Amino acid sequence: MAQGTQGPQGSLAVKRVSASPDPAPGIRTGPEYAKLIDISRCIGCKGCEVACKEWNELGVEPTENFGSMQSHRDLGPDTWLLMRFNEIEVGGDLQWLIKKDACLHCEEPGCLYACPAPGAIVQYENGIVDFNQEQCIGCQLCVSGCPFDIPRFNPDTRRVYKCNMCVDRVEAGLEPACVKTCPTNAISWGTKEDMVALAERKVEGLQARGFDNATLYDPAGVGGTHMMYVVPHGDQLAEYDLPADPTAAPGALAALGGLRQLGASALGLGLLATALHYLGFGPQAPEPERSGQTGGSTQA
Amino acid sequence: MSDRRDLKRFTYAERVIHWVAGLSFVFLLFTGLAFSHPRLFWITSLVGGGPTARVLHPWMGVLFTASMVVMFLMWAKDMSIQSRDRAWLKAMKHYAVHDKDNVPPAGKYNGGQKLFFWSMAVLGVAYIVTGIPMWMPGGVLGLGPFYGGIVNAMRVVHYLSTVGGGLLMIVHVYLGTIAYPGTLEGMLHGSVSRAWAKLHHPLWQKEESGS
Repeated sequence: MAQGTQGPQGSLAVKRVSASPDPAPGIRTGPEYAKLIDISRCIGCKGCEVACKEWNELGVEPTENFGSMQSHRDLGPDTWLLMRFNEIEVGGDLQWLIKKDACLHCEEPGCLYACPAPGAIVQYENGIVDFNQEQCIGCQLCVSGCPFDIPRFNPDTRRVYKCNMCVDRVEAGLEPACVKTCPTNAISWGTKEDMVALAERKVEGLQARGFDNATLYDPAGVGGTHMMYVVPHGDQLAEYDLPADPTAAPGALAALGGLRQLGASALGLGLLATALHYLGFGPQAPEPERSGQTGGSTQA
Repeated sequence: MSDRRDLKRFTYAERVIHWVAGLSFVFLLFTGLAFSHPRLFWITSLVGGGPTARVLHPWMGVLFTASMVVMFLMWAKDMSIQSRDRAWLKAMKHYAVHDKDNVPPAGKYNGGQKLFFWSMAVLGVAYIVTGIPMWMPGGVLGLGPFYGGIVNAMRVVHYLSTVGGGLLMIVHVYLGTIAYPGTLEGMLHGSVSRAWAKLHHPLWQKEESGS
């Protein structure tokens, strides 16, 4: 485990930029970093939620008791992290399937691909996907592009917000606030490589303890994620609210990527065609009427 | 130069509503293209930047839709497609190369203008129906939320409708301005010269002249 590592953690050189057809400017390389959530070690204390609010100075959102341990019903523009408590029966026993709901920082970010505003969403070499609210135009297409339903719109600022993996801490060589505060070490932080290796050991351990379906959640459809889960009941992803097969470019958006090239070309060719038509056939105007003549000459 | 023998073609109300629709469409087309392609995003700076374009685009869409409804009510009857319009549409390839002898004479509107009218009516419905989920993805009037697959699918339909409408608009503006001198005057001042009418809309010219 690389908690408390000193020094920069991966490069903040920009790897991908939203709505930018030119290559991203980053040329420095560095290891990808990842957060690993071991759900089997989570005690549901929600200390991570508090640490997230404190570090990021996010306002308190009033809530109500709705018959759950869950603090809020949903994520919000001021709530970037929500521990979801799903109570279900597994083999006759009541189980709390807890999911740390926050941005998974996909390697192939659906939000970034869906965004029409240049520079509003960037991905750094270290894997963090970050929203630059000052470039955001408030269209919310990222919300629809996200396969995990994470970004949240603030109607007052007309901008969209989500977990930024405490990019300011990471840049300074610190682990994200939720990692720092977790009292049971259910959250680990390190290079993606180390975290995958750690997850594999954890999965083996769980399987040895009888969690036959324990698995690592690092979905390939989005190129893997930079927040991964060790899931004890890997056969019940839906009950954890984890999509089994998320994709960064659902059919409609993949089609749109090609169509917009064709569409822009079609309109350009349309303009060109009218210009060529004008040069070829010229204007068609009535012959000037001679004064004194009433009906005008017969013209076919 | 106006002439007392000019023919009245469009009323004041018709001209106002036409230009409301036309100018709002141009705004929508250009801001929409800016959102659709990174290479065109600079267009938003012409209307005050990205966030402003995002705020104005849907409201301009409301204005466009309202003007389309009024135009529809005003013109739908005149635009009904008759057998002579079908004959005109069959002869469109002759019309395109100014081979007038092989094009059936047109009334107040020719088959192409009528087809343009009905195409824009259909596209207008497509724009507003697909635009609302993108405008208010969180839901509106008890409908929604639309986030996710609905918005993504609407983006595709909205975009394809835009390309269709944009191509039609290029042809419409070309024919209404430099291709047929005298046409724009009709939509600006309301009347056209008798000679223009005889050339482009001979049956209408006969009706209006009562001869």
